[in-house]
Amino acid sequence: MEGHQRNLYLYERFNARVLGVSRDDIITLKYFAKSLDLTFPLLSNVTAFLGVSMDVQPEGRPIFGRRTVIIDKTGIIRYVRDGSPDYKDILLFLKKMNQEGRLDPTTGGKP
Amino acid sequence: MKRKALTILSFLLLAAWLAGCATMEPPKKVPYRLSPQGTVIWEDEFEFMPPPPDWKLLRVEVGENDINFGFMKSDPGGYPSVTSFAYDEEPFGCTTKFEQREKEFFKRFLFNAILQFQILERKKVQVVGGEGLAVTVEGKDPVKKEKVRATVIFGKRGERIVGFYITQWRPMDGSYDLSAFEIFDKFVNSFKFLKKSFYETL
Repeated sequence: MEGHQRNLYLYERFNARVLGVSRDDIITLKYFAKSLDLTFPLLSNVTAFLGVSMDVQPEGRPIFGRRTVIIDKTGIIRYVRDGSPDYKDILLFLKKMNQEGRLDPTTGGKP
Repeated sequence: MKRKALTILSFLLLAAWLAGCATMEPPKKVPYRLSPQGTVIWEDEFEFMPPPPDWKLLRVEVGENDINFGFMKSDPGGYPSVTSFAYDEEPFGCTTKFEQREKEFFKRFLFNAILQFQILERKKVQVVGGEGLAVTVEGKDPVKKEKVRATVIFGKRGERIVGFYITQWRPMDGSYDLSAFEIFDKFVNSFKFLKKSFYETL
């Protein structure tokens, strides 16, 4: 999460936005964000429907699996990686998408 | 005859398998080389003056492709007497302003040790060719009867903050060896970036 926070200026440069999703409640996430000085949104999804839709909700477990998903402006999932985020890989991917116009808000995501 | 041939074949296969094992071991790649001037060139990216030979190389795998390496030395006096220093490409915290980063950093620096920190000195310094901030602290653990003296130097690489830090642990009644801090200063003052960071190339 700290890695994402450090890279916010680069995400901005590539017309990308980051948000985190977890099953923790809002108060827990507020403390978590404060402890790491995070300024990007963290979504509390206690009912887990987002985790189910992203296929990161193991059956019978109260937490999501760790997965990084990049969605373009048209809502198409372009990148999925499990485990700890590979920040450099993410940045290179966003740079490429931005160059292709898939993240450019002025084109509505159309290259 | 057939049995003998099978035995020989088995030995040949075993030898081939063992030979395969021997060749499977990749040669160990050393991430540094020495320059004729006696400095270390680390992965063609950094250059610095190494500490004396009694310091051991310390390399931390951070798992985020970021570089974190340093040196350590056991000091006389037994546990916990040890000194280590490191270069950290991604010190704790996020902001690119030194004073704010200092606050973020010390929220987590040696967090597991649960120390009571006192700032001994804070000053602006020149580091890696630009302005930086050096903070010297002492932390004490009255329960374990241990203490640590540490200096953290924040500098800039491109837009991002990088860090150098030294920690020297002692029993509560032990005395610090400030000559190690001089070696650390030489390391930091000699430190150069030989190329742009990944983030600067984006």
